[in-house]
Amino acid sequence: MKKFLSVVKREYIQRVRAKMFIVSTILLPVVMSLFILVPAIILSIETPPMRVAVMDQTGRMYSQIRQALFNDQSAPEAQNANSGAPRTTTPRRSFSRFVLEEVNATNQPLDQIRANLDQRMRARELDGYVILPPDFLSQGKAEFITRNPGDVFSPQVLQSAINRAVREQRLIDAKVDTRTRQELFKPIELRSLKAGAPGGQQPNSNASFAVVFGVGFVMYLAILMYGQIVLGAIIEEKETRIAEILFSSVKPFTLMMGKLVGVSLVALTQLAIWGTAFGIFAVYGVGLLASEGLRENIPSIPFLHFIYFGLFFLLGFFIYATIYALVGSMVTTAQEGGQLAMPIILILVVSFYLFWPVSRSPDSPFSFWVSMIPFSAPVAMVVRIVTQTPPFWQIALSLLIGFSTVFVIMWLASRIYRVGMLMYGKRASIPEAIRWARQA
Amino acid sequence: MAANETTVKLDGVSKSFGEFTAVRDLSIDVRAGRVFGLLGPNGAGKTTTIRMIVNITAPDSGTILLFGRRIDANLQDRIGYLPEERGLYKKMRVADQLRFFAEIKNMRGREVDSKIDEWLARVKLPEWKNKRSMELSKGMQQKIQFISAVIHDPDLLILDEPFSGLDPVNVELLKEIVLDLKRAGKTIIFSTHQMEVAEKICDDICLLNRSRKVFAGSLREIKSSFGRNSVAIRCEGGNGVLDDPALVSKLVRHADEAQALLAAGADAQTLLKRLIDSGAVIGKFEMVEPSLNDIFITKVTEPA
Repeated sequence: MKKFLSVVKREYIQRVRAKMFIVSTILLPVVMSLFILVPAIILSIETPPMRVAVMDQTGRMYSQIRQALFNDQSAPEAQNANSGAPRTTTPRRSFSRFVLEEVNATNQPLDQIRANLDQRMRARELDGYVILPPDFLSQGKAEFITRNPGDVFSPQVLQSAINRAVREQRLIDAKVDTRTRQELFKPIELRSLKAGAPGGQQPNSNASFAVVFGVGFVMYLAILMYGQIVLGAIIEEKETRIAEILFSSVKPFTLMMGKLVGVSLVALTQLAIWGTAFGIFAVYGVGLLASEGLRENIPSIPFLHFIYFGLFFLLGFFIYATIYALVGSMVTTAQEGGQLAMPIILILVVSFYLFWPVSRSPDSPFSFWVSMIPFSAPVAMVVRIVTQTPPFWQIALSLLIGFSTVFVIMWLASRIYRVGMLMYGKRASIPEAIRWARQA
Repeated sequence: MAANETTVKLDGVSKSFGEFTAVRDLSIDVRAGRVFGLLGPNGAGKTTTIRMIVNITAPDSGTILLFGRRIDANLQDRIGYLPEERGLYKKMRVADQLRFFAEIKNMRGREVDSKIDEWLARVKLPEWKNKRSMELSKGMQQKIQFISAVIHDPDLLILDEPFSGLDPVNVELLKEIVLDLKRAGKTIIFSTHQMEVAEKICDDICLLNRSRKVFAGSLREIKSSFGRNSVAIRCEGGNGVLDDPALVSKLVRHADEAQALLAAGADAQTLLKRLIDSGAVIGKFEMVEPSLNDIFITKVTEPA
C-alpha cells in the first residue's frame, strides 16, 4: 500500500509540477472563450443595409410588407414607420438589414421603370428591387432582381416578410377583423410535467437534462484529454526502460493502478480548477442577469443526485482510462497507442448517443441493460436517475459492475504489460495479448 | 553474516517461454559475502535466472530460496537490482528520482536524503542533485542508475552488465564500490559476458550456456582444475609446429607473442622440443594459467 502511494505521489507531483499542466490549465479556458467570442464578434460586424426598391403594382402591399419586415427585425422602430422616408433598422438575430423605398408605379410604363431601376443599380444607388405584379395577391408570384445573387439570406428574409404581408392582406380582404386575426395566430404552450410530481409544481426537466448533458460532456472532454495521457504514462516506463527496475520492487498491478490513480487525480485537479473558475464566473454572471431583472430558472436537483452524478462521472472516466491503459500495456510507443486508441473514442461516442433512446423510455429493458454495461452505464444511468430514478439496487449494481470491470481490466493490463516486458519490448498482437494474459 | 551462509539457493529451476526453454534444471548456491559471477554468452539464460531471483517472473519448476526463505514482496526490499535494460525518468530531478526508488523499497524519511547526498558524493556527482536526468551524460546516468540499486542498502545486490558503456575511470570507481560492499558483508551477483571483468572481481562463478549450467565453483578451484595447459610463447619461426593440431588446440597471436592452448594429451616439453628441432629462435616460453576467457571458450565450444 505504501508503495502504491509512492507511485501515485510520483505520478501526481511530477505532472502537476510540469509546465504543460500549468499552461494547459490557463490556456484551455482562454481558447474556449475565444471560440465563443470570436464568432460573436464576427457576426456583430456591421454591414451596410441592403437597399431594396419595391414596385407595388397592386398598390396595397407596400406598407404591409414594410411592417412585416420591420416587425420581424425591430418592433419598436417598425411601429412608427409610417413616414415615407427610407428607414434603417438594426436586427438582433438576422444577418440582413434593409432600407426599403417605394417606387411610384402609376405614371410610367413598366419597362421604363425597370430600365430606371437597373440604371440606379449600376450606379450603386440600389442593391435590388422587387416587382409585385397587379395580380400578385391572387397568383402569389413576384420577382426579385438583385445585384448580388450570392447572398442567400436576404431573399429568404424578404420572402418570409412578403409572405406574412400577403397572408395578412388576404385575411383583411376576407373581412376578418383584427382581433380574430390575432386570435387565429396566437401560439400555443406545451408544458411537460413529471408524473407523480406535486400538482402545479414547475418541473425542471430542461434543467435536469442540461445537467445530464453537462456530466456527459465533461466526461467526454476529460477522457479525450486525459486518455492519451494515461496511455503515455503507462508506456513511460517502457520507453525509459525503467519497468524492470520497478518490477523488482513493486507488482505490475500496483504500478499500473498507481499510475492510473495518479493521472486521474491530475485530471480531477485540473477539472476542479476549471469548475471553480466557471462557478465563480457563473455566480457572478447570474447575479448580473438577476440585477438586469432576468429571472433565470436555477435547477433544484436533489443533493443525492449530485453524489450519483459524481460517482458515475468517476466510473465513466476510469472505465475509459483503463482501456487506454490496456492499450498502453500492449504497445511500445505512444504513436502505436494512438492508432489503437481510435475505437475507444467510437465506443464513447456511441454510448453518448444512448442519451436519446434512454431518455425516451428510461424504464425499458433496453435502458436497464445499457445502464448495467460498464461502457454505457455512466451516461445511461445518469439519464435514468434524472428522468425516472430507478431503484437503489440498480444504481448500486451498476456501480459495482463498473468498478469491478475497472479492476479486471487493470489486472489484465498488468499481466500483458509484464509478459510484454519479459519478451523484450515487442508489441503484442491481440491473440498474443490474450496468450500473455493467461501466461505466468 | 557468517561466511559460509548461502544467500541465494536455486534447486532444479527451469523456465520456458512457449517452445523456448530459457533455463533448464539449474541449481546454484550463492554464498554470503562473496561476489558471484553469472557468466555466459548472450542468450544463455542469465537474465531469466536473475529475473526469477528478484521475483519478476516465477520458475516453472524447482525452488528458489533467498536468505533461507521463499521469495515474497518483503524479501524483494532486501535486494538491489540493476538490470541490463535500465533507464531513468527523463524529466525528473536526480534527487526526486532517487527518493522514489528508495520509497518503493520501503525506505522513508530523513534517512533517504542523507543517503542520496552520501551516494552522489561517492560517485562524484553531488552538483547534479537538482538537475533533470535528461541533462546528464550517459555515463552519469549510469552512475545514478547504480545508486538506485544500492540506495536502500540491500543485502543482496544483483548487477547485470553494470559496466557496459562506461569509461575506464568510472569502471574502476564502480568496481571499487562493489568490492567495498562485499567487504561490508553484502552478497553480490554479477552477470556479464565480459570475462576479463569477471576474472578481476568474482570469487565464485557459474558458467551458463544454452540454458544449462556448464560448471560452477570458486574461480580459484576452476582455474587450478584446468591446470597449466597454456603456454605464452615469443619466438621467430616454428610456425608449422604451432599450427599442428596434435600439439596446440588453440593459438591466439598478440602483438609480439602468442598464447597456445595445449591439445589434450600433448605436453609442454614436447612442444618446446619440436620448436627447437624446427629451428625456431625462442625468446619466451612460459607456462601460464588459462584465462577465464580461454576456459569459457573451451567449455562453450566443447561437444556436449
